[in-house]
Amino acid sequence: MTELNLDPSLGTPELGSGEATKAADAPSSAWRLFWSKFSRNRFAVIGLIVLGFFILVALFARLIAPHDPTYIDYMFANLPAGSEGHLLGTDELGRDIFSRLVYSSQTSLMVGFSVAVAAVCIGSILGAISGYFGGIIDTIFMRIIDVMYSLPTLFINILVLAIFGSKFVYMILILSLTSWMGVARLVRGVFLQLREMQYVEAAKAIGVSNWGIIFRHLLRNASFPIIVNATLMVGGAILAESALSFLGLGIQAPMTSWGIMLSNAQEFMLVDPMQAVYPGLCILIVVLAVNFIGDGIRDAMDPRHKVMISRRRLDKWREEYYKSEI
Amino acid sequence: MAGRILQIRDLTTGFVTEKGIVKATDKVSLQLEKGQTLCLVGESGSGKSVTALSIMRLIDYAGGMVLEGSIEFHGKDLAQIGQDELRKIRGDKIAMIFQDPMSALNPVFTIGDQIAESLRLHRGLSDSAAWKEAVELLRLVGIPDPALRAKQYSHELSGGMCQRVVIAIALACRPDLLIADEPTTALDVTVQAQILDLLRNLKDELGMSIILITHDMGVAAEMADRIAVMYAGVIVEEGTVQEIFNNPSHPYTVGLLQSIPGLDGDRGKELFTIQGSIPGLGQIPTGCRFHPRCPHAMDICRSQEPSDYWITQDHRAACWLFEDNKVNKSNQRKVKGGV
Amino acid sequence: MTEYLVRRLLQSVLVLFLITLVAFGLIHAAPGGPTQIMLSPGLSPEALKVQAHNLGLDQPLHIQYIRWLGDMLKGDLGYTFKNNLPVGDILWPTVGNTLVLMAVAWLLSLIIAIPWGIYNSTSAYGISDQVASFVSYVGFAMPAFWFGILLQELFALKLNLLPLSDMWTMGEEGNIGNLILHLLMPVTVLSLGFLASYVKYSRSSMLEVLDQDYIRTARAKGVPERKVVFRHALRNALIPIITVLGLDLPILVGGATLTERVFNWPGMGRLFIEMALAREYSVLMAITIVTAVMVIIGNLVADILYAIVDPRVQLGRKGGRAA
Repeated sequence: MTELNLDPSLGTPELGSGEATKAADAPSSAWRLFWSKFSRNRFAVIGLIVLGFFILVALFARLIAPHDPTYIDYMFANLPAGSEGHLLGTDELGRDIFSRLVYSSQTSLMVGFSVAVAAVCIGSILGAISGYFGGIIDTIFMRIIDVMYSLPTLFINILVLAIFGSKFVYMILILSLTSWMGVARLVRGVFLQLREMQYVEAAKAIGVSNWGIIFRHLLRNASFPIIVNATLMVGGAILAESALSFLGLGIQAPMTSWGIMLSNAQEFMLVDPMQAVYPGLCILIVVLAVNFIGDGIRDAMDPRHKVMISRRRLDKWREEYYKSEI
Repeated sequence: MAGRILQIRDLTTGFVTEKGIVKATDKVSLQLEKGQTLCLVGESGSGKSVTALSIMRLIDYAGGMVLEGSIEFHGKDLAQIGQDELRKIRGDKIAMIFQDPMSALNPVFTIGDQIAESLRLHRGLSDSAAWKEAVELLRLVGIPDPALRAKQYSHELSGGMCQRVVIAIALACRPDLLIADEPTTALDVTVQAQILDLLRNLKDELGMSIILITHDMGVAAEMADRIAVMYAGVIVEEGTVQEIFNNPSHPYTVGLLQSIPGLDGDRGKELFTIQGSIPGLGQIPTGCRFHPRCPHAMDICRSQEPSDYWITQDHRAACWLFEDNKVNKSNQRKVKGGV
Repeated sequence: MTEYLVRRLLQSVLVLFLITLVAFGLIHAAPGGPTQIMLSPGLSPEALKVQAHNLGLDQPLHIQYIRWLGDMLKGDLGYTFKNNLPVGDILWPTVGNTLVLMAVAWLLSLIIAIPWGIYNSTSAYGISDQVASFVSYVGFAMPAFWFGILLQELFALKLNLLPLSDMWTMGEEGNIGNLILHLLMPVTVLSLGFLASYVKYSRSSMLEVLDQDYIRTARAKGVPERKVVFRHALRNALIPIITVLGLDLPILVGGATLTERVFNWPGMGRLFIEMALAREYSVLMAITIVTAVMVIIGNLVADILYAIVDPRVQLGRKGGRAA
């Protein structure tokens, strides 16, 4: 379709390139392209597998954990790893560490995903309002976002949980209330784009539902950035939960979390230093997995996909090229 | 003739991609005489910018490389020497100006500083002497109030002004060869004409040679002594400006010329277009690269790549239509031995 | 430039005002907030009323807020509920201690991260680059306090090389060598966090700049590659890095909180946690304000640097800084 593009006002032809026509219109092919790029990213795939593993562990915690994680037995306190019946030993109250690790994955994943979902909802709504109305409302919202970014989030979290009490719901709420800004900016950006576009006017005239257009446009233009943002939020929330629980302000007994386990472990690190290793390692691995996935999605979506080629491979190709020419 | 300043033979360049090396130009041969202007014409993606970047070996920094061929400049093969040696030639003997003048200037340095840098590097001038010379250069490229302008930043200047500054940077060391990559594309029509005038005047004044890259046949007609038409990484036709315009031979050149509005006087008529689009890197068709779009395509075009055939002594086209040309036969030896 | 800074300053004051409003609102919205806590238990209802009146607690909230704000501006941070100590006496020493820890960690990470990031941008995907990428990933995903605990277990308990916690050994206060020993582990923990992001930012910022047309112009001029990187690219690459440094300040303060807690560092963050658990609202408010002021000063410094590095800012063409 592309031919020599003519602009008579210049009096000379403008030569167009063929690239412009190749817009990825079909969603299925876009998905396939995305997946083929994503699945070639080794780290992202490993991240996906690891996250899947932890999700399974969380879902089937009751089947996997050999003991009740809250069962206290002072007779068997602080057993070392490898003790009979206790794979990783017991903590200062005689609770089975392995079982606690398994059940903690429920807490972490629940916090991570709830915060991400809630923050995406809050961010989408506020971003949509801001971008849809524009003007003064937009300015105010953007100021608020600036302020939110300049708040020491951890302080706010501590403050709120200290004042209102450490309830699970409060923690989710305050964590999502302090992490919606990225999504809001993305959604706002899409709305601003829409405002600029005249075809919305045209579509309105034909009678297509306004929200239908907006939603479709939003899905097409912002869904992947939002997913990337949300993925990173999952990791952030898991870390924040562990920090708050470590400080005694997050998850409360009888619920268990890696953060609480670490806080106990620090008290008893003279007795059993290994107790501090497992929960931290779990946090590290889950958050790494989530971040790998997020980065994988972002890289797969990046149109300026950067090619990773080592000098050595480059030289090899050059050699191969010369050989093939001869 | 005053002597050959540049001789490119069989220049093949490639880019590194995920799938390996993809050729961007294939066996491009060109020559340029002192004081002349050569226009490289073609669509975007035809390899003309890559050719220009290869002469400077700036292609090395853009993920590409010169795979084979030679670029002889003042008797030195630029394809073979190292970046350290090239650095002494770049900006001194060969200079380049680019398409988008606004982004070609560093936003955090004054324009005077950016011109003076070249002089300090290659001429070893002191800061104050370089600055004084920079102001002179701004005057030379027609910037009013140059002493004041030198202290300004690129964002304080218009696009046309910026391009004059870029030209001033390029001319700082009075290069023998100036490569201009679409120098007017990003500019307004009136400014375009001014910049072209400026380039032409400076060329005569300083006695340099120019390689001008453009997609615009109108610009080529105005500026060129010789024209080389590129398509999909190869030169399909090359000759003097008169030959190309009076006797276009390659079907692609013919198409290009027919699609210029108003050249043959019937403005109302629907303009001619070449069907299809230029193939992307790595999707080069077999045989003649133009055959899928060519109205004269023959069987041989689909299977074998044509070599250069001579239309006249001074005019070649890579097209099977001219295989039996008489001039060609008399030039047989010349073809085999390169251009 | 002056106009730009004045505008920035005004915005900062507005932000500060909003923060005090939020903090004040939060605390007074609390169930069992200051009203209950401040009043002495076991008093008769009449006595309670008198006490409430004396403390100004019977006034409408906005009057209370204005009074409180006025006291703050005068530098009067109030008194603790429990022992009636002046908040300033508790707070100011911890601010200094936190600044020592943060400044050392932050400068150290900058000194390492920026040159490292620059180097990695010029040899992307090399070994050094992959190590940096590994460090960033781990630094982002690792709970800082866990890293701290591991260091304690290894260097203090197992190898007995470094002091487990605190800022000074008892009786050695003021001995710089002793301070340095105590700083080593917390600084390592904090620096890793900063390093993780700065090495990544400086690398990507440099890569972005090295891809720009004006870098090609510089090379076409024959500028040596070293000068291309350090003269032409670096100054442009610094612009987004400065932005990130400014934006990161709140995270910096937050990160120090956990580290202080793990290493029992007598800083503002540790104080904040203790006071939060003890519900000492006047101290919490004071810390919130002091932190906000620190963040805002940091942002202002970033703005000034910004205006110095980027000539476009001086004309006020750049509306806001892109985050």
